[in-house]
Amino acid sequence: MLSIRNLHARVGDKPILKGIDLEVNAGEVHAIMGPNGSGKSTLSSVLAGREDYEVTDGEVIYMGQNLLDLEPEERAWAGVFMSFQYPVEIPGVKNIYLLKAAVNAIREHRGLTELKAAEFLKLVREKLKVMQMDEAFLHRNVNEGFSGGEKKRNEILQMQLLEPTLALLDETDSGLDVDALRVVGEGINRMRSPERSVLLVTHYQRLLDIVKPDFVHVLTQGEIKLSGDYRLAERLEREGYEGIEAA
Amino acid sequence: MSGFSEWLTDVNDVQASKALAVGLPTKRVESWKYVPTRGLARTTWQPAVPQTTRQFALTGGQFVNVPTDNGLTVSENTLTGSEQERLDGISQAHGFGLTQAALEDTHLILTVQRAMSVVLNLSHLANQASSAGFAALIIRAEAGAQLTLVEQFESTNVEKANLSSLRCLMTLERDSLVTHIRFQAANTSAHLFSNLNIECCENASYRLQTVEFGSKLARNDIYIALSGREASASVNGLAITNGSQYHDTHLTIDHVVGDTTSEMTFRNMVDGKGEATFNGRVLIRKDSQRSATEQSIANLLLSKNARVNPKPELEIYADDVTASHGCTVGSLSKTELFYLKSRGLSETDARAFLQYAFAEAIVDEIEHPDIRKLVETQLLGELKHGELIAELKDSVDV
Repeated sequence: MLSIRNLHARVGDKPILKGIDLEVNAGEVHAIMGPNGSGKSTLSSVLAGREDYEVTDGEVIYMGQNLLDLEPEERAWAGVFMSFQYPVEIPGVKNIYLLKAAVNAIREHRGLTELKAAEFLKLVREKLKVMQMDEAFLHRNVNEGFSGGEKKRNEILQMQLLEPTLALLDETDSGLDVDALRVVGEGINRMRSPERSVLLVTHYQRLLDIVKPDFVHVLTQGEIKLSGDYRLAERLEREGYEGIEAA
Repeated sequence: MSGFSEWLTDVNDVQASKALAVGLPTKRVESWKYVPTRGLARTTWQPAVPQTTRQFALTGGQFVNVPTDNGLTVSENTLTGSEQERLDGISQAHGFGLTQAALEDTHLILTVQRAMSVVLNLSHLANQASSAGFAALIIRAEAGAQLTLVEQFESTNVEKANLSSLRCLMTLERDSLVTHIRFQAANTSAHLFSNLNIECCENASYRLQTVEFGSKLARNDIYIALSGREASASVNGLAITNGSQYHDTHLTIDHVVGDTTSEMTFRNMVDGKGEATFNGRVLIRKDSQRSATEQSIANLLLSKNARVNPKPELEIYADDVTASHGCTVGSLSKTELFYLKSRGLSETDARAFLQYAFAEAIVDEIEHPDIRKLVETQLLGELKHGELIAELKDSVDV
């Protein structure tokens, strides 16, 4: 589904990604772990199409097309979704406007009919329940005044509605308390399916206790230094990144 | 001869002679330095003819169908000494003020009686091509009175330049409240001049909500004096400037005495070759202790040729004062655009969302639900690709 080959990217003059190779097949969950500044967030931002990053080498093939040639909205239409580490506040735009507009934009590109108001409300209420969110969130401005945990729930709510083929979850566990972590983790688990892949960027093992990844990769200094299965995450938790690097 | 010269010559009185001698203000007059006055000077202005209507309206410099509501007194008697002084102050500011004074037909005086509550809807009808109307409105809100004044502008297209000028004096006696809503979506040949001179006595409150996106040129001069303790004023304004429009608001809030509060929020959104000026001045005088003011000015530029001239001014001479201010100029946030696009919104829809959000912050403050709804609807028609939001509002708003 996703092939990243020799990906190099920089911000300004500073190289961040220095040759990433990664194969993600349909249905797999991959966790990308690594210390601060290793390039984890850059990787998901480059894949989602944030323009602050310049790709200097390499390619990313997603479902047979060159992902880097697509605009951010075209990536979304093609089934890519990024859960933001810092979800953006948009004062003046109601959450429900964004949700409905996004669902129908993506349905249109999948050749599906537009959801009418009643159908959409039924769907969104179902998903709110899963995320244990109050309906009042729909009528608040996008992420404005949301707590850290509410913002992350809102991201996963969007993912549930948009049903992506490839989900990029950028530190979705940061800023969550234990209960919120469980709700968010279970929200992600519900989305696991043989057709859907997840790339989960995280610092810690705790989310991985709920969302068991098929593969774990350690990203340090812009390169994947080590890959393994779930046990690698456990080892990281015990030995730390320094221990792994030294070994 | 052009501009108002012929008309002023015909009027031929002392004020007209003064206006003729001084002429229209040029770019050398500081408060007029951005105003494109060439169009004004090129037209040979004729007195506009009042039109027939059933509404309370300003047409051709005349007020017609003046309401006779319970609680309202209508008169055309003389101004008080203080009112005359305030009007003279406006007249003498520059050549256009003198022209206004010389060509004004009517001084309508409306008094909202003590402790009464009145709603006034004033329609501004478009004047005919190359014609102009000048009028003055004096409003007296007696102690404890409440007035909601809603002004709207007819948008019927007029092929050539047309002009309307209204100078409005309001005196808010103690404990009175005036909510003033102005919605200006006038025809795009209109040249609109509005002077508002407001005086708030003890514990009186003046609240202005103004949204402007019509006209070729609009110039608003607003002066609010908080001259009694516990008096307050709030101004929420939005101007959307597009094509080759010019919008200009000069607003001063004067804390004449202490224990007074003010709030000034103004947003400009400029596209095309539009140009907008906002001069927001708050003056807190030396003895006006314990005054509080909040000022926020935001300017959104949507095209390379758009211009804004924002000028926030805080003049504080007292020491026990709470004041906050902020002024920003920028384009749409790239981070916000990326977020919306990453959710599948097209570039045009994402831009429309953010423009709507910028404007809605002001529109949402309009305290009259019907007018707020009307403004929202027209606002969405005004925005490029506003249809998606219009449809969303229709379908999911509760």
